[in-house]
Amino acid sequence: MIAALAWRNIWRQPIRTSLSMVGMAFTSMLLVFMLSFQLGSYDTMKSSMLKISDGYGQFQPEGYKDDPEISKVIPDAIALIADLADIPGITAAAERSNGFVLLANGERSFAAAVIGIDPVREAQISTLSSLVKQGRALTADDSNAIVLGDGLARNLRLDLGDPVTMLGSGMDGSVAADVLTLVGIFKSNVPELDRQIAQMPLDRFKDGFLMDGASNIVAVSGAKLADVELAEPRLRALATKHGVVYLDWAELQPAVKQAIALDLSTAILMYVTLVVVVVFIILNTLYMSVLERTREFGVLLAVGMKPGQIGRMVWMEMIFLSLVGNGIGVALGVIVTGYVQSVGILIEGMDEVYAQWGLPSRIYPDMTPFRVLIGPGAIVAAIAILGVVPYRRVLGLEPVSAMAS
Amino acid sequence: MTHSTTRRNFIGTTAVFTLSAGFLPLLAGPALAQDARSILKTAFDNWRARSSHSVTEMLVKRSNGTRKMTLESWTQGDDKALVRFTAPARDAGNATLQLGKSTYVFNPKLNQVIKLPASAMSQSWMGSDFSYDDLSRSEKVINDYTHKMLGTKTAGGHKVHVIESTPKRGVPVVWGKQVLSIRTDGVIYSVEYFDQLGKRVRVMTADRISNLGGRPYPTVMTMRTDAKPGQFTRVTTTQAEFNINVPGYLFTRSNLENPRD
Repeated sequence: MIAALAWRNIWRQPIRTSLSMVGMAFTSMLLVFMLSFQLGSYDTMKSSMLKISDGYGQFQPEGYKDDPEISKVIPDAIALIADLADIPGITAAAERSNGFVLLANGERSFAAAVIGIDPVREAQISTLSSLVKQGRALTADDSNAIVLGDGLARNLRLDLGDPVTMLGSGMDGSVAADVLTLVGIFKSNVPELDRQIAQMPLDRFKDGFLMDGASNIVAVSGAKLADVELAEPRLRALATKHGVVYLDWAELQPAVKQAIALDLSTAILMYVTLVVVVVFIILNTLYMSVLERTREFGVLLAVGMKPGQIGRMVWMEMIFLSLVGNGIGVALGVIVTGYVQSVGILIEGMDEVYAQWGLPSRIYPDMTPFRVLIGPGAIVAAIAILGVVPYRRVLGLEPVSAMAS
Repeated sequence: MTHSTTRRNFIGTTAVFTLSAGFLPLLAGPALAQDARSILKTAFDNWRARSSHSVTEMLVKRSNGTRKMTLESWTQGDDKALVRFTAPARDAGNATLQLGKSTYVFNPKLNQVIKLPASAMSQSWMGSDFSYDDLSRSEKVINDYTHKMLGTKTAGGHKVHVIESTPKRGVPVVWGKQVLSIRTDGVIYSVEYFDQLGKRVRVMTADRISNLGGRPYPTVMTMRTDAKPGQFTRVTTTQAEFNINVPGYLFTRSNLENPRD
């Protein structure tokens, strides 16, 4: 009965109630969209950045990340990859070897990182081979081929078909030298990659750098980054079994993690401000209406209603109001976000900035239950908790003095 | 050309120091600095002389094994050096030529000379604890750093000058500072290398000093990197001649590529 009374009471002032609801609905809608958009773009940023070259996760020898010496190797990468097949969520794995070398074309020489890759498996993990803009990516049949980043090729003044001289240190420290043919040039728009990275066939790398069959890294991938994150405990256990370490996305791309954390911290401040402002505006309106109804509450007390019942009624009015307002907001938010999710948002002129973070120029929001409900949920919860203020005010009322006011 | 420019600067600086020391004998600062500098100059002259020819064994100790190489080297003045590896077969024929500020490497498999970019100078030389920079170091440390006497101590039964060298402002160098210990007879006893934050990165020590080519010489030297305990590179000079006539053609790119002898 109290719930029915509360529901009827909020519609005694239809305009005021509607205005409060519209305020909350608009805020909720904004929160649903903004959170889905912002967190969705973080997902895109993480996965596209990782997919360019690193992969969603990597197995590495202990200490390799801080001091990537070629002599630190995964002894039996084949066995590790075989074990990975049993882990749900992991769809691909590939071994790699890294050498720090000098690449030269006649008088010109530049320092570069050359990665020995398995062209077939690598294509399932990184997009670098699909970013080859001139020539072609490495294939399984290649032997003395090399693919360079476009900055590196430009610095060395190399064209497709030219010989590339490579000089580095093998696993035992002796000189590793080779002459390869430039078959492709990639452009990832990530400056560090385009200026420093070269790819060559893994087998040729292992021979040339005297790797004795071993390699430095095993990179893994999944259908989604979230799948790989979910499999992390099993991946770490597997790493321990093989005497290596597992690195997750944040360890592979700490700069991305920091950029996200920085961006998110300012955004959270804005969201919290938004919620606080809306909650207090609504609370103020509701408290005013309770004050106006002091005489009415006096009458109710006089006819035998208990103060606690009146208090609960007032409290319930506030909860109903916020539920309806935010419910409308969530519905509108889902509709708007759903539409944008299907077409994407093109942000003009930001292509260059976004490309550095591996972002496409068209960005898509991504709704999840958490992203949709956290903002509106926070408003409802805050109003429900702060409803204690009018509730306590009602508890203190005396029938006679209340009716006289 | 680079060579003559540095030479002129060097002579210029010496003249200024000599003048100030002569006219203002009470100002001990520059005189002391000159002391430290001349001690270093003597030590490096003693090490490389006007010219030299030596045979050295280089042992590189790593966690996964030990490599032993033999190399023959020639130097002339401060800024010309040629190093040619002679053994083992896998490394033989590799050579490094340092001409002024330029460094060239020759690899027999490629049969090609590559000029090193500045960015590669700090990389490991032949997989050892030495970098390409170390090959051209003597001239650099004297001219690109300012030197301060820290004092003297006794080490290995000898009196040793301890000199702190900090890079001059604006000079692109790898180290934050170096602390060199030079025996009073002009033999380099140890060199400590510090990063920009003042943390020691590596240390080179003379493990044996004996008479070689008519002078006391650090015949066994070891370079250790602090972050990599258990690893080191030890160079043992087995033969050396100093102040000999070294033919000029030795320090040319064509000789690097096609040795005449």
